[in-house]
Amino acid sequence: MLHDPSAAEAVSTSALKLHFGETVVLDGIDLTLARGRTLALLGPSGCGKTTLLRLIAGLLGPTRGRVAIAGRTVADAASGAFVPPEKRNLGMVFQDYALWPHMTVAGNVAFPLQMRGVPRAGRRQRTLQALDRVGLAGFADRRPGELSGGQQQRVAIARAIVAEPQLILFDEPLSNLDRELRETMVGELAALIAALALTAVYVTHDHAEALTLADEVAVMRGGRIVQLASPDRLVATPAAPEVADFLRLGGTAEVEPWDDRWRFAGSPVELPLRRPAGSGPARVLIPTAAVSLAGTGIAATVLRTQFRGDGHLAAVAPEGLAGVELQVLSQVRLKPGDSIRLSIDPDRIHVFPPAGRVS
Amino acid sequence: MLKSLKSVAFGALATILGAGVAHADITVYTAGPQSLIDKLAEGFTAESGIKVNVFQATTGKIMARIEAEAANPVVDVLISASWDTATDFAKRGWLVPYSSPNAEKVPAFLKNDTTVAQGVSALGIAWNTNSGTPKPAEWADLAKPEYKGLVNLPDPAQSGSAFELDAALGAADDYKLFKDLKANDAAIAGANAEALNPVLQGAKAAVFGAVDYITFGSKAKGESIDMIFPASGTVVAPRPAMILNWSKNQDEAKKFVDYMLSDAGQKLVADTFLMPARTDVPAARPLISDLELMDYDTAAIYGKRKEILDEIAKIFAAN
Amino acid sequence: MRAKEIGGAAPAAWLAGIGLAVIVVVPFAAVVLQAIFPNLGRGSFAEPFSLLLATLSDIRLVGMAGNTVLLGLAVVAASACLAVPLGMVRALYRVPLAPLWDVLLLVPFMIPPYIATLGWIMTLQPRGYLEQIAGFNLAPILFSLTGMTLVMTFNTFPVVYFAVSRTVEAVGSRYAGVGRVFGASPLRAFFHITLPLSAPGLAASLLLVFAAAIEEYGTPAALGRRAGFEVLVTGIDSRVSDWPIDLPGAAALSLVLVLLSLAAFLVQRWILNRRSYQTVGGKPQAAEKQPLGRLAAPVLAAFAAVSFLATGVPMLAVLATALTRTISGGLRLDNLGGGNFAAVFGGASGALAALGNSLLLGVLTAAVTGVIGAVAAYAVVKTRIRGRTAIDVLTVLPNALPGIVVAVGLILAWNMPALPFTPYNTPLILLFAYCCILLPQTARYATAAFLQIGDNLEAAARVCGASAPTAFRRILLPLIFPSLASAMLLVFALASRELVASVVVAPVGMQTIALFIWRQFEQGSVGLGMAMAFVTIVVTTLLPLAFLALLRRTGLVAA
Repeated sequence: MLHDPSAAEAVSTSALKLHFGETVVLDGIDLTLARGRTLALLGPSGCGKTTLLRLIAGLLGPTRGRVAIAGRTVADAASGAFVPPEKRNLGMVFQDYALWPHMTVAGNVAFPLQMRGVPRAGRRQRTLQALDRVGLAGFADRRPGELSGGQQQRVAIARAIVAEPQLILFDEPLSNLDRELRETMVGELAALIAALALTAVYVTHDHAEALTLADEVAVMRGGRIVQLASPDRLVATPAAPEVADFLRLGGTAEVEPWDDRWRFAGSPVELPLRRPAGSGPARVLIPTAAVSLAGTGIAATVLRTQFRGDGHLAAVAPEGLAGVELQVLSQVRLKPGDSIRLSIDPDRIHVFPPAGRVS
Repeated sequence: MLKSLKSVAFGALATILGAGVAHADITVYTAGPQSLIDKLAEGFTAESGIKVNVFQATTGKIMARIEAEAANPVVDVLISASWDTATDFAKRGWLVPYSSPNAEKVPAFLKNDTTVAQGVSALGIAWNTNSGTPKPAEWADLAKPEYKGLVNLPDPAQSGSAFELDAALGAADDYKLFKDLKANDAAIAGANAEALNPVLQGAKAAVFGAVDYITFGSKAKGESIDMIFPASGTVVAPRPAMILNWSKNQDEAKKFVDYMLSDAGQKLVADTFLMPARTDVPAARPLISDLELMDYDTAAIYGKRKEILDEIAKIFAAN
Repeated sequence: MRAKEIGGAAPAAWLAGIGLAVIVVVPFAAVVLQAIFPNLGRGSFAEPFSLLLATLSDIRLVGMAGNTVLLGLAVVAASACLAVPLGMVRALYRVPLAPLWDVLLLVPFMIPPYIATLGWIMTLQPRGYLEQIAGFNLAPILFSLTGMTLVMTFNTFPVVYFAVSRTVEAVGSRYAGVGRVFGASPLRAFFHITLPLSAPGLAASLLLVFAAAIEEYGTPAALGRRAGFEVLVTGIDSRVSDWPIDLPGAAALSLVLVLLSLAAFLVQRWILNRRSYQTVGGKPQAAEKQPLGRLAAPVLAAFAAVSFLATGVPMLAVLATALTRTISGGLRLDNLGGGNFAAVFGGASGALAALGNSLLLGVLTAAVTGVIGAVAAYAVVKTRIRGRTAIDVLTVLPNALPGIVVAVGLILAWNMPALPFTPYNTPLILLFAYCCILLPQTARYATAAFLQIGDNLEAAARVCGASAPTAFRRILLPLIFPSLASAMLLVFALASRELVASVVVAPVGMQTIALFIWRQFEQGSVGLGMAMAFVTIVVTTLLPLAFLALLRRTGLVAA
């Protein structure tokens, strides 16, 4: 077991697999995260993201493969090596807060220090410091049950950072909070991570949280990582339609060659986009920003609309294109059933690489 | 090493819990009254320096314990409430032959080469003097209308002496008396003490076949109860004492039997209202010579124990 | 369904496994072997099955088993009728004097069933205390299935009452309130929402009552035999107590009883699996209790009447018997006296030694069953190790073993000549017997408590740097402690007055409370026995209450 504190690699996994009996939960996870950076694991429920986090934490052991933290192997199915969670020097924030109801707020926060043998005086001071950092100065002697959900989660965050662990794991920490509080907390968490230069792995099913907080985002589906990239690259060049769908980047559609251009599969509607020579049928992403309302263009019917801060986002079905759904941002409120016309900016269309190739 | 550590630990716990089996010199299982065996043990230890460990329960519970312990028995001296156990144990070859020098004045029918009686109880009618019923004189009186629904019988399945009485009386008139009792709403009610308790409170007027020493004891405490021995005859239940052949302390066990039959020991027996086994020790109660005893063949009735119990159970089965 | 579990699984499972092996498996295996090999007591395996089939094909077995189930179901039904309404009202409404009723309904736990039964007999029989006071008696009811059912119900229904009031309090009137918003009448909301949501707790407590009822010896022996109503336990007892002793027959009947209990356990499992709701969320909610309004008077009357019947009558009967000089003297002023109490405190026949022995054994039993119960429950609930189902079954198995069978099994197992050391004939054997009989109590409470603790509380501690044992000690144990402590207090009370196993297995020269009382009864000193019983009930009620009060003051247990 190598241990190199100066290793730039904060976490790495290689060929990590986990089976529950016949069920494959994780199927070959390879990732690395450098120190001081934040990785978001993003995906729908059941994609294995929380399981991956628990493998890193040591709350589960892998069926195959290897986990290393700060260059030190902490789990290796081949050799049977396993470092229990308490020896991994971690902090973790849980979805259900997991505060211990029989201890005070200070007792909860001081626990990791106590476990690391920090003397009483230092413990008290660092606990108050951590509470101050999450905006809960003065709450030290309260019981967790007396606090609101947001306050409880702040306590959990203070508990995770107080011992300055080498890695902090967040397991959907904000999903139990209401939207407004969630948005505030995302901002505060981002500031905290930056200020303390934390290394973090952040599990979420909310793409906004992931894109806001993380330096890198791993989009997961069915026990695999579909794409691991920076938020910018993820938005600009999603590797697969499911990534684009999950990030709600716009509508996706099947296209087929038509002359030197494309057209929507099985329809006469053309896409004004040049086709590289030799390419066959493909899937494209038509980002929301590429679609605008126009006097002429593709006829479409409004399916539903939702207000966003910058306008009304409408899901629309182009006529004659079964199964295709595009999104358009409108300054006026559209009603379901309205007939409209769309124009599409070809430069913004993204053609997915053929299946099997991941960027 | 480990083993000795363990036994030290267990020994310490045993001492804390207040029982000192390790220092036991002899172990006595007795069906007799607790107060009697306590006093006998105390007197014997004072005289001989030999410690006595006592387990007191009903004859049945003691037998269950000996049965379960059969692979590794611990009892040295057994004092049962039923002579039948002594016969049975002798047949199994479990008893040590011993004739105590103090047993000279014990009549022949209360001893043989392996067994000697500690004392004797007799059965009779326990009658509540405040019950408003006429004082019964005979077993058959309790089948009279004055006692309708007011008579308890100890369960012959649970009490050895009640079994002998019921078998002897049943053989005499082919269970007519018991059928009459049933017709008079008499009830079988648990072991001896359970049968007597309702009579003390007055729920019942009389026990048919009560153990005398318990009744005398209650009377001495001021209960309005009297003991009647029918002139037509009753049965006695000698309480056999025996030494078991697996005993590793047979000499001490014999000394205990000697003490039990000594003047002091027999006085303690008499003090609990049992008849002393020795004819030369006085007692403040009727003695065997004052009682009319029924004549019956013990071996024969015990040979048919199951049939007799079934017969009585059938008569008293709830309608 | 976790693939590989990381945590305190291994040490917990080992500790639970060893404890259960010594406490439960050893006597149970001895009983099974005894049923198969009739000469086991003599160390011989000859003639296997020769007596088992004879016992099982005995026609009376059907009647005994039928009576056992009938009595069990009758007690369950009566307990439900009595306890469910009271528990619901206690949970949902502001009942005046509620703490008083809770304490009064706690006392029946502390009254040994044989004492309660004797108290009822002395009250209801002709010329009993009722007739002496009121001029009539209820003897015809007493010595019947109805009488047995009522006496046993008054002794066991508090189990259901406390379970119902606790679960319904947790479910709260909240869900019923939601139902009423959607148009359900209060009654319909109760039957369609509150009752189904409380079903798991109710089912668990009713199973406890059933197990206790089919395993109870004192009441059927005292009341049933006279009515010709033989149950399995009295059948077992007569095989163990009436000459000639039939241990194989007793063991075979015990196995039938074990099967009955397991069947009940499976039914309860099935109910719980079909309807399992996590009603205790992370956020505590203040329970909104409604005022009783015009119902206050009838509800108060009901609580008073039930408390009087369950606690008042037996306690007054015990006290009356203890305070009267002679039983035949009855309840007259000149017949009253404290002589029996003076005899108890004067140390008559070692009364005080018996009291000390039993209290010490009670404390030790509570400690041992507390540890094993908590660890076993942890292994069952919080881990996915192989064999946890076996652990689960072993912790409830003793429920099905009558005390006398446990005792015989312990003798058979621990008195083998080959053993280098044996607890037999030392006080340890009593500790083993009590632990075996009472282990289900702590295991059950601890299991329920663990089920309500989110998995992440332990995970959080591990990630924070606590080792598995530290996480158990610092996080899990304090969280289950309130439940575990009440179970241990119950175990203390039950162990300190256990009779049936003690009679057979007590080491020579050792007195316990129950043995002392029983020996007094055997010798006709009912008053002295009752004085001891009264002292015991008071001590075993007050000690735990004082202990709880102390815990509350130190803040270890929420009020």
